[in-house]
Amino acid sequence: MMHGLLGRSGFWLCVLAAAALALPLVASPFAVDIGIRVALFAFIGVAWNLMGGYAKQLSLGHAAFFGLGAYTSTILLIRFDISPWIGMLAGGVVAMLASLPIGALCFRLRGPYFAIATIATAQVLMLLFLKFRDFAWGAEGTTIPNLGDAPLMMQFDGKAPYYYIALALLAIGLLITYAIERSWMGYYLVAVGEDEDAAEAIGVDALRMKRHIYLISAFLTALAGTFYVQYIYFIDPNVAFSFNISVEAALVSIVGGIGTLWGPVVGTVLLEPTSALLQSWLGSGRGGVQLTVYSLILVAVILYRPAGLIGLFTDIATRLVHGSQARTKEAPLDG
Amino acid sequence: MAEALAVRNLSRRFGGLRAVQDLSFSVNEGETLALIGPNGAGKTTSFNLITGYYRPDGGSVCAFGRELVGLRPHDICAHGLARTFQVARPFGKMTVLANVMTGALLRDHKLEVARQKAGEVIDFVGLTAKQHAPARDLTTIDQRRLELARALATQPRLLLLDEVMAGLNPAEIDQAVGLVGKLAQRGLTIVIVEHVMRAIMAVASHIVVLDHGQKIAEGNPREVVANQEVIRAYLGTGYAHAEPVGDARC
Repeated sequence: MMHGLLGRSGFWLCVLAAAALALPLVASPFAVDIGIRVALFAFIGVAWNLMGGYAKQLSLGHAAFFGLGAYTSTILLIRFDISPWIGMLAGGVVAMLASLPIGALCFRLRGPYFAIATIATAQVLMLLFLKFRDFAWGAEGTTIPNLGDAPLMMQFDGKAPYYYIALALLAIGLLITYAIERSWMGYYLVAVGEDEDAAEAIGVDALRMKRHIYLISAFLTALAGTFYVQYIYFIDPNVAFSFNISVEAALVSIVGGIGTLWGPVVGTVLLEPTSALLQSWLGSGRGGVQLTVYSLILVAVILYRPAGLIGLFTDIATRLVHGSQARTKEAPLDG
Repeated sequence: MAEALAVRNLSRRFGGLRAVQDLSFSVNEGETLALIGPNGAGKTTSFNLITGYYRPDGGSVCAFGRELVGLRPHDICAHGLARTFQVARPFGKMTVLANVMTGALLRDHKLEVARQKAGEVIDFVGLTAKQHAPARDLTTIDQRRLELARALATQPRLLLLDEVMAGLNPAEIDQAVGLVGKLAQRGLTIVIVEHVMRAIMAVASHIVVLDHGQKIAEGNPREVVANQEVIRAYLGTGYAHAEPVGDARC
């Protein structure tokens, strides 16, 4: 039974991975561009979900880390000629360091108050970078010098390499989530998310758990920031610390299924192409028709699938696998 | 007998309300102490003060030779004091097994070890048949059982039970009394807050009575039930000379 289940999901995972890897070979650049956005936002969603989904610390300020990652690598690249590959990791470390004081301030608050405080931190960083004219180009921002095909500087000719990088980031995020979910940390995080006081009563250091998962989440989000500005060759505070990033990170997880491994991926696969296709079909000229349709989809999902779309898939899967009352997976949610 | 818990001059006020005033009592190892008193007497507040959820305004709490005031709840749990909540607070999304495993993970971070330990405790409280059910689907008594199992999984030396029997029917109370009795027999030190007199008489070796945040009586169950102050606190002055009824529910 157990092997059948694992084998089956393993099989589908391989099919999915193969399809994802083959996309640039068969699809148009426009489709690959959508693929990049899907992989990137799914990755940001996965990073957000570690904290917002498992530990239920609903952050609406992940743009802070996205922006810090973007700015760190760009400053290192332009001012010090340091490869964005190194800058990416440096950005991750900067974001981790930043998460400590932000966490110290925000973790005193619970629920909506926490969310509001995190919004403020991202906004404050954006305002700061608007003022940093000397070393961070202020409100004008800067383009990233095009070096042609320079893989060591994270610059490529076609879109395919970017796509594979984004896919690799997503894979890393998923692996980290998988490992955490199947360790004591997963249990402790879900416990904190469910009831902080009850978790403390059985020896869970709730503050420490939140701090640790914030570090990991911030690090991963910063990697996405570096990648994104390398891909669009431009950075300014509005791009790097965009409130949209924060919202998108939360939205894809919530729509897909909060606190689940695949939730953010499912959510992004639904939302990102929809938004991109609507934009190209309906255009942005006709009074925001595409936004309206997009919003309707969101409302429908939240109304009919409040636990996220992932439930739809697992329901189908359980129906396919007969006698699935034997829940053999090792995750905090099923013991 | 060594002292497991010593509470000295514990006080806490909320605004103008003195919820707990100058409370002192001690529990010897292996003893079962019941903390009783009318609603609002300060029993749950005392629990929250002992287990680190509230900071006392004054006084000290010493358990197994260590001062607990100033420690956070998880430290206190790690020191061997496990508590339950008056309203059971299971992690609803998790299964029964996962809930109890989370408790067991305190002593060993390996899932296999935790799973085995959790299995034993679930068996002890009689939830084995429901171990794969999500905790939110449990009935009230099963949620209490789960709460107890989760606390026991942390392998405490002192167990603090906050009204584990409230809202249970007589048959369920008998079961609960049986469980608490078994734990006491194993040598676990227990502090129990309870309203169900029948249960208290059955399990407690020592009783502390609170009223308006103060200790008004203390002694073995027979003495306490006959105490005039206690009858007055529960029933009013008119009943101060009434004969105590053994099976009264307060």
